[in-house]
Amino acid sequence: MTDLSISHDLTEALAETSLAPKQAAHSPQEWAKQNLFSSVSNTIQTLLFGFILVLILQWILGLIFADERDWHAVTTNMRLLFTNNYPASQYGRIWFTFGALLSTAMLTVAAFRYFPTFTVRKILINITGTGAFIALVGALAPISTTPRLVMLAVGAVIMAAAGMAVNNRPDGDEAAVSLTAVLLVVAAAVLATIWFVPFGNDRLINLEAVLEPGTILLETKLWLSLMVGVTVVAYFAGRALAGVLPESPFKQAMVGWWILGPAFLIFLVIRDPAFDYGYVFTVDIPIALVFGLGGGALLYFLARPGNEALARAVGVGILAVCALTFILGATGSVSMLQKIRLTILALGLVALLAPTFSGEPRVRRNFAYAWIGAIAISHWLITAINTPSTLELRADSFLGGFMISITLGYYVMLASFPMGVLMSLARTSKMPLFRVMSTIYIESVRGIPLIVILFFFDNLLNLFLPNGMSVSKIAGVFIGYTLFSAAYMAENIRGGLQSVRSGQFEASDALGLTTLQRTVFIILPQALRVSIPNLVGQAIATFKETSLVSIIGAFDILYIARNVVPGQTAFIGHSIAPMLFVSLVYWIFAYSMSRASRTLETKLGVGAR
Amino acid sequence: MSSSLSKLLALLFAFALVGAACGGSSDEATDDSGGDDAAQTDDAATDDSAADDGDTVDLTQGGGVLAAVQARGTLNCGVSGAAVAFSFVEADGSVNGIDADYCRAVAAAVLGDSEAVNFTNLTAAERFAAVQAGEVDVLMRNSTWTQSRDTEVGMDFGPTTYYDGQQLMARAADGFSNSSEVAEIDGAVVCTNAGTTTETNVSELAGELGIAITLQTFEDYNQVVDAFIAGTCDVITTDGSGLVGRKAQQQPEGEEWVIFPAAPFSKEPLGPVYAQNDSQWADVVNWVVYATVIADESGVTSSTVDDALTGDNAEMVRLLGGEGELQTKMGLSADAFYNVISQVGNYDEIFARNLNPVGLERAGSANARWNEGGLIYAPPAR
Repeated sequence: MTDLSISHDLTEALAETSLAPKQAAHSPQEWAKQNLFSSVSNTIQTLLFGFILVLILQWILGLIFADERDWHAVTTNMRLLFTNNYPASQYGRIWFTFGALLSTAMLTVAAFRYFPTFTVRKILINITGTGAFIALVGALAPISTTPRLVMLAVGAVIMAAAGMAVNNRPDGDEAAVSLTAVLLVVAAAVLATIWFVPFGNDRLINLEAVLEPGTILLETKLWLSLMVGVTVVAYFAGRALAGVLPESPFKQAMVGWWILGPAFLIFLVIRDPAFDYGYVFTVDIPIALVFGLGGGALLYFLARPGNEALARAVGVGILAVCALTFILGATGSVSMLQKIRLTILALGLVALLAPTFSGEPRVRRNFAYAWIGAIAISHWLITAINTPSTLELRADSFLGGFMISITLGYYVMLASFPMGVLMSLARTSKMPLFRVMSTIYIESVRGIPLIVILFFFDNLLNLFLPNGMSVSKIAGVFIGYTLFSAAYMAENIRGGLQSVRSGQFEASDALGLTTLQRTVFIILPQALRVSIPNLVGQAIATFKETSLVSIIGAFDILYIARNVVPGQTAFIGHSIAPMLFVSLVYWIFAYSMSRASRTLETKLGVGAR
Repeated sequence: MSSSLSKLLALLFAFALVGAACGGSSDEATDDSGGDDAAQTDDAATDDSAADDGDTVDLTQGGGVLAAVQARGTLNCGVSGAAVAFSFVEADGSVNGIDADYCRAVAAAVLGDSEAVNFTNLTAAERFAAVQAGEVDVLMRNSTWTQSRDTEVGMDFGPTTYYDGQQLMARAADGFSNSSEVAEIDGAVVCTNAGTTTETNVSELAGELGIAITLQTFEDYNQVVDAFIAGTCDVITTDGSGLVGRKAQQQPEGEEWVIFPAAPFSKEPLGPVYAQNDSQWADVVNWVVYATVIADESGVTSSTVDDALTGDNAEMVRLLGGEGELQTKMGLSADAFYNVISQVGNYDEIFARNLNPVGLERAGSANARWNEGGLIYAPPAR
């Protein structure tokens, strides 16, 4: 569902962008003359705002380089900030997850044939800018003379060398390097940095932060090198696969893995459930097999053209049985696993959907496969989540630090997306009941502060659940946050839906498409494409607002930086250095998201009409 | 239209059923406290797994925390996780501090293993609710024992492990000294955290003494200290333990900060908190604290505890399980307090390990031994 907007054909979009007039190349001096000092007023503006920027930069550098800033508070607490109290002995699991995500990213790049080239000119201009920035920092930062001179010299040399190289490029220079080359250079630079730059390594000895000379810790170095290696290998493997595999299944596989993979990594790798295999093989797997295969066969049969009435009857019948199991369970006369009841409920609801999917065998087969896949995944997750973890944790949750922010932000976005789509469709639908329900939901949720919702789901959710069923703090927060985010998502998508012209609806009706087909294949792709900037904006906001989980006692990266690190005996009161570091981490992720969204917008030609 | 209507009705029917089912109560356990990390919608309804967790709740509510902890094998201890020297998370993720050590002491007594503690980090707002709901077996979260807390809500307080009290801190350069009186801050800008009792205490005291102060409040204590360093505040105030730690760590060179008045102007006895009406569990927690105090009085430390077990001090021999049935009658093993002293240490060791590094000394304070002018006192073990 989610790949609708991505799987758009991009040749068309590329053709569109190549129509843009070519910009004449300028040397940096020419560019500055034309853009910064073209007239008197322009010059005044440049100088005024340049001065303000310099003051702001000086203030920030003052914060960073101040004497009382103890950066040991950050370096010694790196692990705490990123993973809270995840046991050190099991840290390989964190690295494995990191590596898996990096290689997934590389494979995705290959699957979507995203092989951009970077013009040498642009790269050189960026290097010139970096040199200028280093020199500026050297000039403004409150540091002693020697490092100041070193920074000024290094910045000036870089600036001069790269600037000269730009000037020496011939006009209309189109020389470019490939992504492969850039990746290899970056990988080499990262490796050189971690192996040869003498950062020193921090450790706490008798409550004193001690900086040992040399490079960073060998163990960290080896793991980081492995990560770089995995990234490069995954990139080349992805390119090789892209040459062999057909395009569309490869893309679909990657999108599917982005949805499911992180859940597998979290619950299987990081959490490491201690499965009781005897029980799994005798109870869990047979249940999943019966429901998966039996349900799949049933749905395949019910979706046959002509069986519509039967399908509805069977669906209602299954729901009646399901109701009976709930009632009997409540009275205590029949005991049954909760997951069986829920699966029966799902089967009943999906059976009601069968007529919508009736058609030729291929469609019906996919319908049945989707059911089998959903059962396999959901039963696996339910089993894994309910199995105690093998981790020797002396705290309440295995997720903490930045890990909790990124996990929560990612899955809240992922889970609220379909809810938001459904609610926006309901709100724009012709059926008054759905429209009113959706409007009431959206408006009431948008009227309540997120903190109230989080408190509610932390404290009160368990009171509303059946006896014996409980959710943990984090799960409660996840549910509450998803419901909250879905309301905003619905409004963002509704904006997109309204931009789809009525002619599109009429044309699809004229083609004889069903409502579902019209929505999925005609309306939503156009609506979502328009909504991308808003959705990414919301994704960034969601990611940053995960820091609110600290109010219910979950230790996220911001809470650790603001309260936990200053509470340590060695770093009493040092909260500004960790908070600056946390700002940098958040900024890197938020900026990456916004860059990714801009790339996507260009590919899909949003705003290029 | 009729077909979509019937579909809609079926859906509504299904939702109604789910709602009804959720409203009703199912007799079987579907939870699993082992994996409290995510939604739990399933677990075996088999009898044995129902027994692990379903019973835990009953025991907690039925008045048998001790049995519940022993069955579980770990102690759920509520701490702050961000309180200097009381309970804070180290860079490697371990929890340290005097409160954390008393959690370990209780675990050593009940389970024989001081590391069998599951630390739950609680904010000030949620700490007491966690005790009342049985989420934590004992709360060691620098919580002040007050009449209203003791009587109004369903919890009880154990023996005080640290006597704290509110004091003021100012610069010696402004004419203050360790013997200054509160009245001397007339006209000063006084800073503290917003919405805390420290704010109320200091303004009440100023009204009593008839002095005029400008009270400025900040969201958290780090900001208060930063404002003091920046010169925005002439005087800052909070509990003495918080002031001493900051003075030791953050006093700039060439400047001298002084803490006064010598006798704090508020009483903040900090100690363990547990659920009300479970005397057996209350006895266990109380006597763990007393055992560390008695060992300190007798000079028995973690390194000399083996000698004391066979030594001449009859009280220590009884306390450490060398003879008698004092511990077994409480539902603990005979060597329960031996484990406490050998694995965690006596009161003095716990104090020195956690509070000396931030500059808090025992001698001369309210936390000295009772026979040396302090308030740390324990009933006899016999």
